[in-house]
Amino acid sequence: MKKTESRVLVAMAFPAFAIYAFLYLYPSLSNVYYSFQRWDGVTKPEFIGLHNFTYLATNDDLFMKVLGNNFRFSFIVVIFQTLLALLFATFLLKNTKTSIALRIVFFFPTILSSVSVGLIWNFLYDPNFGFINAMLKSVGIPGLNWLGDTRYSLYAIALTQVWFHTGQMVVIYVAGLQQIPQELYEAAEVDGASRWQQFKNITWPMALPTTAVVVAYTTIQTFRAFDLVYSMTQGGPLNSSDMLVTLIYNTAFSSYKWGYASAQSIILVFVVLLLTYLQRRTLRLNTGEK
Amino acid sequence: MKAKGITTFSARRFGAVVAVAFALVATTLPSATAAGEVFGKACTTEGISTGQSTTSLICTMGANGKLTWTRVRLGSSTAKPVAALKAQPGTIEFHHWRPEDKVVLQSIIDKFEALNPGVHINQVIMNSVDYTNLAYAKISVNKKAALFVTSRGGQFDQFMAGGMMKDISSNRYVSQNVIASALTPATVSGRVYGVPYQSLFNNPLYNSEMFAKYGWTVPKNWTELLGFCKAVKAKGIIPFAWPAATRGNAGQIMNSFLMNSAPDLATLTARIAAIDTGKADLTSDWFVDIAKKYKAMNDGGCFPDNVTGYNDTVAPADFASGKAAIYPTGTFGMSTVTKLNPSMAGKMKMMSMITVDTKPLYQGITNNTFILSVNAKSTSRDQSIANAFLSFLATAPIAQEYAVGTSQHVSIINVDYAANIDLLNTSDIMGKKLLLAPRFLFVNVGTVRNPLEDALIAIGGGADITKTLTDTSKTIKQSLGA
Repeated sequence: MKKTESRVLVAMAFPAFAIYAFLYLYPSLSNVYYSFQRWDGVTKPEFIGLHNFTYLATNDDLFMKVLGNNFRFSFIVVIFQTLLALLFATFLLKNTKTSIALRIVFFFPTILSSVSVGLIWNFLYDPNFGFINAMLKSVGIPGLNWLGDTRYSLYAIALTQVWFHTGQMVVIYVAGLQQIPQELYEAAEVDGASRWQQFKNITWPMALPTTAVVVAYTTIQTFRAFDLVYSMTQGGPLNSSDMLVTLIYNTAFSSYKWGYASAQSIILVFVVLLLTYLQRRTLRLNTGEK
Repeated sequence: MKAKGITTFSARRFGAVVAVAFALVATTLPSATAAGEVFGKACTTEGISTGQSTTSLICTMGANGKLTWTRVRLGSSTAKPVAALKAQPGTIEFHHWRPEDKVVLQSIIDKFEALNPGVHINQVIMNSVDYTNLAYAKISVNKKAALFVTSRGGQFDQFMAGGMMKDISSNRYVSQNVIASALTPATVSGRVYGVPYQSLFNNPLYNSEMFAKYGWTVPKNWTELLGFCKAVKAKGIIPFAWPAATRGNAGQIMNSFLMNSAPDLATLTARIAAIDTGKADLTSDWFVDIAKKYKAMNDGGCFPDNVTGYNDTVAPADFASGKAAIYPTGTFGMSTVTKLNPSMAGKMKMMSMITVDTKPLYQGITNNTFILSVNAKSTSRDQSIANAFLSFLATAPIAQEYAVGTSQHVSIINVDYAANIDLLNTSDIMGKKLLLAPRFLFVNVGTVRNPLEDALIAIGGGADITKTLTDTSKTIKQSLGA
């Protein structure tokens, strides 16, 4: 490549890089910088080395509790959302009019604003006149204080999250499953394989690369489920539904501990990176991918 | 940990608040008649008032149990209010948190712009939660935000510490148009840095028609309050539609619990400061007593079932539809109720929530907030526009338009509430001994006040007192140390 051509290419990439640097690189590096500072967002930051990180690890029970909440939330949502999406996608694989219509129905919640979803589910979960408790009571089951009880609030939000995003994953699964050669199913049928055997021996192994994408994407979604949590419980009661993102937000904007919030953000990034790496590794081992 | 500057500043604010012993009280000064009513003569309906001017009369019940016309002391000088200032041409932004006021404020802005050709004021509105969290970050880097609003306490302190507030003490409209006592939350070391525009009364609203129908009277002490809950619940009605699932409004009753919890204001302020700075625990006897009363209200059937899941969408709806007798928030809740059920207009009255059996120190809560300030970092031209608009808002006809249009009492002299029956009906609270909302003495909002209120909410929902307060104390101390 000639030197002038190379310069032109660099120049052409510059606008995109400038936007990336301004919107992503600079804030990320700033975050790293502030994580070593004590800063309230108003007065001059003070360098305190690793204090924010050591305090987080040794003195902050709330952070540990919230980290635990986030893991539980993530685990529940990843399992249920992935399984449901795969199940629905299996049934909606063929491009019939009914399947396409149902895919649209399943996908519909995804296009709603998360705050609207939160408000709607707040009504559904209302302990005294909500639809869910009314249904339970109609079959003789006592209703629960879904969002107001520390024992249930996290699971109630997890259920909403699953309802909210399963349709999106169905679409990803349908696209992935449609790549599986039809001949494999035809051969299996000739060999007398049942539907379950077809699923176990063809669909599931062939869908693993798509599953890897769905699981990674869902995990990341669960660690950034801010709007839903904030609009439904604001992390309450007594932090029982607090997630890392809501905790970081409150640390920065309600407690004005911006340096400490930056350190919490760094931990969040590492947690998501680690989880994604572990998931990728597990799924790669299963598919034999190198 | 806060920087030294802020700590010192907060301490000063505490000192200022100690000095506040603030109350809008009925006085026994002679003279004056208004609209036919005569000072000192008997009146028939408690709470009826002739306005909020220096000559206004209000019908209040005296110690002898008789209703008489008394005067509202405004704490103002006798100087006459002044006209609005003129503005230089230019464009500024006005940042605030009340989307529900947008139309009324735009109408006022239109009038101001008509009087001042070449001036443009653009409203920039966030909801109150976002505003609390993001306003400083946005306004501190935006010189065009020449006029902005802060809430009393932590947010005002934050803007002061950031050098964002221009001293407006020398303006005549400040000293002559605003009720002097209302300026306290915006006054630091004798200098005024904003006009707290709204006079809120954070006391429970009750359905006076329902009370009359069942023959209930407003409970005058703690024992009566618990007895009242029993009587109301027996009728299948929710006594207190307490929106425990919405922290902001759930916290309003904490003001009532705090106001008579200490022998005097100085002690109360010191106790709050001790918790706010981590020197005292929530497990102190004083705070445990408050928590026990939340529990007693829950045990006594005062709150709806599953109260910790009962939010501030359902609570006003229950109150507006007659399913609840009391909506324990404040005057700012009236417009929501009348929007839900217009026939509630004129039926709401305000009660003192007394949580002691001894003689109460205070009979109610007030708060002067929505503090309008001029941005010290804006250009002098933009500051002059903001200041002129602020002076315009501080004229009685404009303040009245705002008050009536938004169902808010205001801190401006000579405003007549006759055009809004709900404001008029709740004006009687001004005749009582009021305390400036002590909830806002907790200036560490995220680290102390929010978890503390969450703990009280949980206890009000039936959680174990000792465990909840011990756990929350630990969280607060750890957060303060971070």
